[in-house]
Amino acid sequence: MTDNTDNFSALMKQSLAGDQIAYATLLKETSRLLRPFLAKRLSNTSEIDDLLQEILISIHKARHTYDGNRPYKPWMYAIARFRLQDHLREHYSDQLHHAVDLAELEESLHEHVTESAFSYESISREVQKLPLKQATILQMMHQEGFTAKQVAEKIGMKESAVKVAAHRAYKILKKTLER
Amino acid sequence: MKNIDELINELAQNVAVVTPARHPVLLSLEWMTYAVVYLAASLLFSGFRTDLMTVFQDPWFAAEIAALVGIFVTTCLSAALLSFPDLHQMRRAVFAPALAFTLFVLVIFFAWLADNPPAPLPTHSFHCTISITLLALLPTAGIFFVMRKFASTHRYWSGSIAVLFAFSIGAIWLRLYEVNDSIMHVIQWHYLPMMFVGLIGMWLGKVALKW
Repeated sequence: MTDNTDNFSALMKQSLAGDQIAYATLLKETSRLLRPFLAKRLSNTSEIDDLLQEILISIHKARHTYDGNRPYKPWMYAIARFRLQDHLREHYSDQLHHAVDLAELEESLHEHVTESAFSYESISREVQKLPLKQATILQMMHQEGFTAKQVAEKIGMKESAVKVAAHRAYKILKKTLER
Repeated sequence: MKNIDELINELAQNVAVVTPARHPVLLSLEWMTYAVVYLAASLLFSGFRTDLMTVFQDPWFAAEIAALVGIFVTTCLSAALLSFPDLHQMRRAVFAPALAFTLFVLVIFFAWLADNPPAPLPTHSFHCTISITLLALLPTAGIFFVMRKFASTHRYWSGSIAVLFAFSIGAIWLRLYEVNDSIMHVIQWHYLPMMFVGLIGMWLGKVALKW
């Protein structure tokens, strides 16, 4: 099938009349068009698949708003953009929710370095259970005495990323030790 | 989630004959008919202002009512278009209320200039806002109920325009019912709250027009 708009419109008209084969063809061609559209805007393949399915379901739900007398693609892309925006909004609000405030981080880092009630050795077993990157960072900072900046230089990360990883590790350790 | 092909097969198997939605112009005509019937019934119930014939001889009053009718018509058309994901590919027509509102603001401005010496302020104040709101409740509920059956991809604007449509019915009703010549009162207690309600409509649209 070509990308001819008339073909899409004709297929949609047939679909609205209850033609299952025409509808399946239309949805397949639509997903073929949408995949590169989404791939340009999202990097994760599973994310693209999930969103593509959501868009197809939305097209199915909204098919009564298309009468077959106007071009199909603008209608379909309007739905796709709407779902993509919704997806991105949710994605970024979730990221923001899990973000760590760096100012807060600075304070807690000082606390841990100077006022910790535990020595590194006493909790080293718990530290080893942490994800490898976090465990390495804590080991370098608290056993070998490196600063966050030095650790960052040694393992090729940004200083802020080292602080975030350390902060997350402290949180996990705090929970574990409080049990 | 399922595989894309499985989903397509499932959707195709469940496809049934669907009647496409009417053209937005026809749709808005239908909504306007219901609104006019509601407005007429409200006016018959409340009664017209006693000086209606006299007040229509004032060109600024007549222009104000005409501008309100313009808002009523354009917001209704715009709400119908906004109910379609692609605005029925009539994007320019969606902005028709902007023109109507500009005309309306100009009319009100000139009416305010012409109000010299100013007409005495009525003794009541917020009662007008409440009356407009109460009268607009049913049309608001009605239009949201109908718009939910469609698939708006501009929920904020749809909500705002739908609420403004409903409130324009209330505003027309009150101007034809209340004996009041103070343009300051009308601006303060009829039209400014109406603009504010348009903002609330955005939130309503976000919540009520999810699909």
